[in-house]
Amino acid sequence: MSAIEVEGLTKAYGELLANDDVTFSVAEGEVFGYLGPNGAGKTTTIRTLLGFQSPTEGSATVLGHDVTDEPELIAAKRRVGYLPASPAFDETVTGREVLDFHESVKGGSRRGDLLDVFDPPLSRPIREYSTGNVQKLGIVQAFMHDPDLVIMDEPTSGLDPLMQREFNEHLRAETERGLTALLSSHVLSEVRRVCDRVGILRAGRLATTERVADLLGRTGKVVRAHVAGAHDPAAFDLPGAHDVTCSTMRGYGDRDADGPVTEVTFTYTGEVDALVERLGAFHFLDLAVEEAPLEDVFMRFYGDDADAVAPDPGSADTADGPDDAVDDRDSRPGSAGGGRDA
Amino acid sequence: MLELAAYEGRHRVRGALVAAAAMGAFALLYVFVYPTFAESLGPQIDQLLEAYPDALAKAFGVQTLASIEGYLASELYTFGWLLIVGLYFAYAAASLVATDIERERMDVLLSLPVSRATVVVEKFASLAVPLAALSVVVPVAVVVGTAAVDYPISATDVVALHLLSVPYLTTCAGIGLVASVLADRASVAQRGAVGLLAGLFFAESLLTDTDFEGLGAVSPSRYVDPNAVLIDGEYALGDTAVLVAATLALVALAVLLFRRKDIE
Repeated sequence: MSAIEVEGLTKAYGELLANDDVTFSVAEGEVFGYLGPNGAGKTTTIRTLLGFQSPTEGSATVLGHDVTDEPELIAAKRRVGYLPASPAFDETVTGREVLDFHESVKGGSRRGDLLDVFDPPLSRPIREYSTGNVQKLGIVQAFMHDPDLVIMDEPTSGLDPLMQREFNEHLRAETERGLTALLSSHVLSEVRRVCDRVGILRAGRLATTERVADLLGRTGKVVRAHVAGAHDPAAFDLPGAHDVTCSTMRGYGDRDADGPVTEVTFTYTGEVDALVERLGAFHFLDLAVEEAPLEDVFMRFYGDDADAVAPDPGSADTADGPDDAVDDRDSRPGSAGGGRDA
Repeated sequence: MLELAAYEGRHRVRGALVAAAAMGAFALLYVFVYPTFAESLGPQIDQLLEAYPDALAKAFGVQTLASIEGYLASELYTFGWLLIVGLYFAYAAASLVATDIERERMDVLLSLPVSRATVVVEKFASLAVPLAALSVVVPVAVVVGTAAVDYPISATDVVALHLLSVPYLTTCAGIGLVASVLADRASVAQRGAVGLLAGLFFAESLLTDTDFEGLGAVSPSRYVDPNAVLIDGEYALGDTAVLVAATLALVALAVLLFRRKDIE
């Protein structure tokens, strides 16, 4: 059984389709990243899964329960934790009162452990809380009843980098215990660290769902190097190299007496051995081979120049279908600026 | 069950005590003024009533000022209790759902394993706290105060009036609750509920004895009459039943609307 099953989900606000025939599923124990720029419709899907709004068309189940049937939805919610993008609580009450109330309704077997890590000032009223503390309270309430599934909308947006790391470690530990998670984000580096698989949403439509490892494999490596001598891009023209750029300068650092140096960067999606063999012919001043930033991958799904950018990574079958679907949507409001936001 | 009502009710205790103290003090003020008022005017007291503009006398249900019962029925109960406290409950109920939606607190609440009906009904039930506080403090103030100034009033009638006005106040709150579920912003719900209730109140009192009297039938204030209870000792239980039914119908309507609502 899938933890989450979304089938042909459509949500219309008048003419605008916030979700347009979205279909995906999240397996038990999986961490699924729901990606897209702001306004792509991520929150709409999440709100439908939690029963805050009803779908115009299509269906969704959470932990096997139909979310449009209230008794079923309530049964599901007993085992679901939810962390909204900006959690809000009654300003006049203390954090402790909020947690006491939540515990009285859904249980709180993990409350103590969570408060050891995420420690908002519980005896103070929430109006005195910083954004980070409200977010910590939100995390505690989302996990305190030891849910089987957590649904999180931009979970680390309000946290400082240290807390973000704590959160990611917590999430990893929980998923090792068997927790299933769906988290939305427009921060790719975050998703890459914690997710097994991602769905990329663009202007209400799901452009693709893919394993993070596959996504990274398809984008290949970014190669950055300083090479002795003057070279032009043709020198690095090997199969799998894309967007080769070279610029020659007089020297490198304080070694300006050694003659010209060429700075070269390209994206490489071919065999690593072939790359090493070709590079062996050069004299390197430095070399960095890095994972391509997911932002580049993102651009393929969001960018208006999606076709022009896409190198052939050898898995064209999976890439072309969704890309074609995306191109049809280019005239939709909000799609043009999407790539830049991401 | 009732966790939400208990949670919300706890946070109403302080406000309820403040409201009850204010209303109790207001009642005592009215009671303490009466002897001076009655004794200075003596037998001519109801001539003052004739000097009232007719509409004003009607609006506040002034039948007689010659007895403390008539005086309290109009000045304290019709104006202070039915109108002001009625509006207070409509306003408070109008905030119940709409404020949580507006401040985006409803998301966290609805992520709990609770039904939409539970949310509406238990939030509404939390108004029992101010209702109980006001309905205990004010009659005690009235009975004790009137005895203290030596114009004693029937404690039975005062208690009866308060009991009969409970469904009136819950009906006022029911109007607020429906507004709260319909509107997306609390201020809209509050203005709508208060405006509607005040309109109904004045329409009902001003239309009495006119060809449009029938229109007043939709106003909750038609179904509770402080003059009849305090002056004549008449308890119109049929009218009370109408208010009980109206409360249930309004809460049921609010539940129905909230169950169908998209929270955005």
